[in-house]
Amino acid sequence: MKMAALCSEFGDLVQIKKQLISVISLCKERGLLHSAKWASELAFALDPLPKNELPPSPPFTEEDAQDLDALTLAKSYFDLKEYDRAAYFLKGCCSQKAYFLYMYSRYLSGEKKKDDETVDSLGPLEKGQVRNEALRELRVELSKKHTAGELDGFTLYLYGVVLRKLDLLKEAVEVFVEAIHTLPLHWGAWLELSNLVTNIEMLKSLSLPDCWIKDFFMAHMYTELQMIKEALQKYQNLIEAGFSKSTYIISQIAVAYHNIRDIDQALALFNELREQDPYRIDNMDTFSNLLYVKSMKPELSYLAHNLVEIDKYRVETCCVIGNYYSLRSQHEKAALYFQRALKLNPRCLGAWTLMGHEYMEMKNTSAAIQAYRHAIEVNKRDYRAWYGLGQTYEILKMPFYCLYYYRKAHQLRPNDSRMLVALGESYEKLSQQLEAKKCYWRAYSVGDVEKMALLKLAKLHEQLNESDDAAQCYMLYIQDIFSCGEQLEHAEVSTALRYLGQYYFKNKLYDEASLCAQRCCDYNDAREEGKALLRQISQVRDQIETPSADLFAPLSNNNTPVRRVSPLNLISFTP
Amino acid sequence: MASVHESLYFNPMMTNGVVHANVFGIKDWVTPYKISVLALLYDMTASKITLPERRRLNKLILPLQQGPDLTLGQFLKTVEECCPQTAYAVKLRLHEMADGELKDMEYFFSTLPTPFSAFDSEAYKTSVVGLFMRHMLLAYNKLSFSQVYKLYKSLQHYYHSHYAKPTDGQVSLPVLVADDSDMDLTSTEDTVGDRIDREELDTPLHESELRNDNTPSRGPLSQKQAEYFLARQAYLLKNDENKALKPAALQEELNNMLKFNPDFAEAHYLNYLNSMRVQDIFLSAHSLLHYFDRLILSGSEGKSNGDEGYGRSLRYAALNLASLHCRFGHYQQADLALQEAIRIAQESNDHVCLQHCLSWLYTLEQMKGSDSTVLTEDSVKMAAHFCLPYLASLGIQSLVQQGATQGKTAHKLMDALKDTDILHWKHSLSELIEISLAQTTSIWRMFGKSTMALQQAQLLLNMSSLEPVNFGVQQNNTEAFSVALCHLAELHAEQGLYCAVSEILQHLKEQFPPHSHHAKLWMLCDLKIQFERHMNEGKYHLAEPLVTAISALNKTEGLYRKAQVLKALNRSTEAYSILQRLQVHCEKTKRTEVVIRVMLSTAELHWESSGFSTALPLLLQALALARQHHLQSLASETILHLAFTQLMLGVPEHALSVLHEAIEPVLAHGSLMDKGRALLLTARCQMAVAGFRPNGQARADLHLVVLAVDTLNEAAAYFSKLNCKERLRDVHYLQAQLHRSLGQTSQCNKSAMLFRLLDQELQSPAPPVSMRL
Repeated sequence: MKMAALCSEFGDLVQIKKQLISVISLCKERGLLHSAKWASELAFALDPLPKNELPPSPPFTEEDAQDLDALTLAKSYFDLKEYDRAAYFLKGCCSQKAYFLYMYSRYLSGEKKKDDETVDSLGPLEKGQVRNEALRELRVELSKKHTAGELDGFTLYLYGVVLRKLDLLKEAVEVFVEAIHTLPLHWGAWLELSNLVTNIEMLKSLSLPDCWIKDFFMAHMYTELQMIKEALQKYQNLIEAGFSKSTYIISQIAVAYHNIRDIDQALALFNELREQDPYRIDNMDTFSNLLYVKSMKPELSYLAHNLVEIDKYRVETCCVIGNYYSLRSQHEKAALYFQRALKLNPRCLGAWTLMGHEYMEMKNTSAAIQAYRHAIEVNKRDYRAWYGLGQTYEILKMPFYCLYYYRKAHQLRPNDSRMLVALGESYEKLSQQLEAKKCYWRAYSVGDVEKMALLKLAKLHEQLNESDDAAQCYMLYIQDIFSCGEQLEHAEVSTALRYLGQYYFKNKLYDEASLCAQRCCDYNDAREEGKALLRQISQVRDQIETPSADLFAPLSNNNTPVRRVSPLNLISFTP
Repeated sequence: MASVHESLYFNPMMTNGVVHANVFGIKDWVTPYKISVLALLYDMTASKITLPERRRLNKLILPLQQGPDLTLGQFLKTVEECCPQTAYAVKLRLHEMADGELKDMEYFFSTLPTPFSAFDSEAYKTSVVGLFMRHMLLAYNKLSFSQVYKLYKSLQHYYHSHYAKPTDGQVSLPVLVADDSDMDLTSTEDTVGDRIDREELDTPLHESELRNDNTPSRGPLSQKQAEYFLARQAYLLKNDENKALKPAALQEELNNMLKFNPDFAEAHYLNYLNSMRVQDIFLSAHSLLHYFDRLILSGSEGKSNGDEGYGRSLRYAALNLASLHCRFGHYQQADLALQEAIRIAQESNDHVCLQHCLSWLYTLEQMKGSDSTVLTEDSVKMAAHFCLPYLASLGIQSLVQQGATQGKTAHKLMDALKDTDILHWKHSLSELIEISLAQTTSIWRMFGKSTMALQQAQLLLNMSSLEPVNFGVQQNNTEAFSVALCHLAELHAEQGLYCAVSEILQHLKEQFPPHSHHAKLWMLCDLKIQFERHMNEGKYHLAEPLVTAISALNKTEGLYRKAQVLKALNRSTEAYSILQRLQVHCEKTKRTEVVIRVMLSTAELHWESSGFSTALPLLLQALALARQHHLQSLASETILHLAFTQLMLGVPEHALSVLHEAIEPVLAHGSLMDKGRALLLTARCQMAVAGFRPNGQARADLHLVVLAVDTLNEAAAYFSKLNCKERLRDVHYLQAQLHRSLGQTSQCNKSAMLFRLLDQELQSPAPPVSMRL
């Protein structure tokens, strides 16, 4: 099994399929439902095997035979969530399978009790004190077996989970890596490990088994660490290797596109996903975010209704409905649904942030702050919550105060122009023009999403009477707007053209000035000024031409500004 | 997500995490400790107790009811001290419950005298005891089945942990040694479990594992315990940093507290204070903002955006941010934050907040080094108008400080301080009383009245703390005390009492350890004293390295001292250029004291090149300045310089008459050095007036010569106290000459021998006697 898994050739899809089939049955026997689900999804994406190629069921040992009855009984109890009962009947069994199920039942029983306890604890004294009492015992037993080397891949995984729950993160990482080496096909162990990896250096330092599943892990990790380009490359390789039908990969790619805000690509992928897997609920909250950003009301409404029909008590469903109401500007209801999502899973990060946004819309700043703070508590690296906090304080007209939050957000997403623009605006409000300029310029350099940075920079230069720089920025702005193709609502091309016209006029570059003025006439708000400028230009030209019969050439040369922007540039950007 | 536990969340009926335990809105919860108190109350009503015992128990009831939870051991000990019999009964009752079954506890609650039935007992429904019992009964009755069971379990834990290992709990309590009647931070229940665990765990543990095993053993604090802990630590941080937990330990406690109760906003504030202590700007800013984010939540429930709502905390959030930047010396940032606070305070018409902002504004201006008198005056007026005595007198104190440096007359300053003192005592603003006393000390010293300064410093140091709640702190350890102690040290040093000085400095070092906020004060003071001492003893090579240290703490002072050392080492050109620079700088920043001292040093430099007449206008200018600013000690010193110049210019009669003016204040208030120098100068003037010539050619006025001998004797006594050998040598030289002219050969020989001894010891060639003061 181990040797087979170590073959990292994608070419042998049949081999991979065989491995998947065997690991599915292993997981199922042990009640590891999510891993089984993942493996099954992947297996489904591969071509079916002929009958004689199907993998043989794993060897049945003497011990297994001995424990068979107890195991069957316990497994049925386990499936019915009677964990203590399952554990009771498994006590004393010696096969590996039975031992795992025994420990796992005890762990789950502890977790279940912990969750039940939270509801009726003895007052604030105990709040936060409730913990899984079984963890300590489990750790003691497992660590004994671990040192004796008696743990198989599944029990190692469980040991890792126990350690993580006890906040022994370093040890947990070691154990998970060991578990992966022993049983590379168990996706659950990989996922747990991915939760513990905090940065790329740590990822590089891990020694991982050389298995085809490692590519899935790396792709997942790159997405988590916001290294989207690498992640997309990995997923593309996987698709080319033969997993093109896998809904898992499609959804991951869609999420990756969502993260880099490539909305159209992501939307297309999600639509494809829903065609292939219409009853899927996972990742649909991300999909709804995209629909929200694009203001696609009917689609979002359809999605929400569809999901409610499938299962209305799912975190994702609640988030989708929340987004739906938010788009319809029914913010109270939206907040209600996000709250419901949080009741279903209080550690659901997105819901906290989204709820914060809703409260912001409702102008309930204090509740918004609360929500954002909760989000930060769940995950300190959530840049949206930091950004939201900054926005909240900006609304409260505290530009200096919000700087801290924007800086935090910027720190987490150094290449996101939105934070930089927000920072720039705050600096501008504090009349720290130098810093503001730096922020805007940086925002433009990292690729401005909203195309606002240059305009703001230009206006700032204009205010400071740095006309050359302002003209340069307006120029770049116009280039930027026209090169992106679509018309943006807030685009202020007319402002830019107006300023450029005046600028050229002042610098006596009449050809360029008249070109700008003509362009101005295309816009309603600048038409009159454009015409006026044209008139002025023709007047001046007349004046020049009459006396310039003799000194015609030197005049225009002398007046060329030092930082001259070629007017020809403009022509190529005509929409 | 495939992680195992998550599967549980998909149960739609699960409401964990979001639904808080406090569904009934009850503030009081039954805890094992509360049960013990109930048992005590029950036994007090049930059994017969003698009257004095009952009185003692009655006095105990309120603190027990309202205080934080105690461990059983502490509880029983307190009760035992009042009445052993009752303590035994309570123990018995608890034993019955803990070693019995659940029904025993239920039975106990059912037999409690209901406050509604007992009309004539102390437990009547409106009495303190009755109210408490009603609270407890209500809380108990509202518990669900499983909660009752849990309560019983924890009662058993509570009881047994006391007997299982009565000492362990005390041992693992390193943090609050100050008074052990305090609360127990480490709840013993968990440690028991841990010990068993560790015995079972025979596998070797990593260090990190051990650490992680230890942390949960701290356990959570109850609300009241936590509040008490925070209040105490915050108080100590403000008033006596040494008694508070060490920064790292406190941080750990706070992290622990926040882990169990993330909503406890005040802990973030304490975290901020703690980080300020170690000058950690990142953490302190983070904690401060977190605190206010939290505060805004809790404030939002009532009125929104009004005077009391979260709008208020927003304003103070900005203001606090300003103060944070101010403390770290980020003046521009502080300015921006302050402007923001002012703007929002103006928008919402919050005059109180505006006042606070204003007082920060003038503080900021002052720190930046610009003149803020007008602002301060405005602030005082407005604060008085809005009845904010604290801010008003803080402003006055600041004004007094500015006035003192700008040469306001003493009586005006003292009047102002006296007026504020009345205000302080009326409102018992103990902190300001301390500051006021320290300020008076400083002002007296500045004006050169050392006795008065000494008296004020002693007054402050002998005053015991006036705080209404003091956590066993006899005296505060604030900046005011540090200032007073430094003055005390310097005053003692001036009188040559170096033993006392080192004791005071030792005390300062203990009270304000080097990392603490006010440590710079005594460091500078210590260095200055050492410097003066070395200079007096003529050990310039020892004084030189101190200059670097001084300039690290105070640039101007350092520069001045450097000039002095250079002057002493005869590197006049360098000294002169430094003095010139310093004078320009100090005139700009209006530091009159330093200006005068610089002028005097420059005059001394002129003397060295025999430019006595050039020194004269400088000295007159210095004298005018000193008089204008009422700096008596400096004025007297200037007069000494003047007299010396006149002596050198050959008008000893004038010099003597000028000297007469200064000798009195010098002898009354001056330092030993000044006294010695003044007397030496007087003697020389007397000799000159008497027409004394070293070779004894002319007949001198014998009467005056004898007078000069006496004066020299006195001066010699002062110089020998200071161990100032160079000047002593001069004195002996003059003495020998005088004695010779008087024909007292034996005394002459004695003086000559002393001179010879000193001369050999000093090795350096004696500068011409005439050339220095």
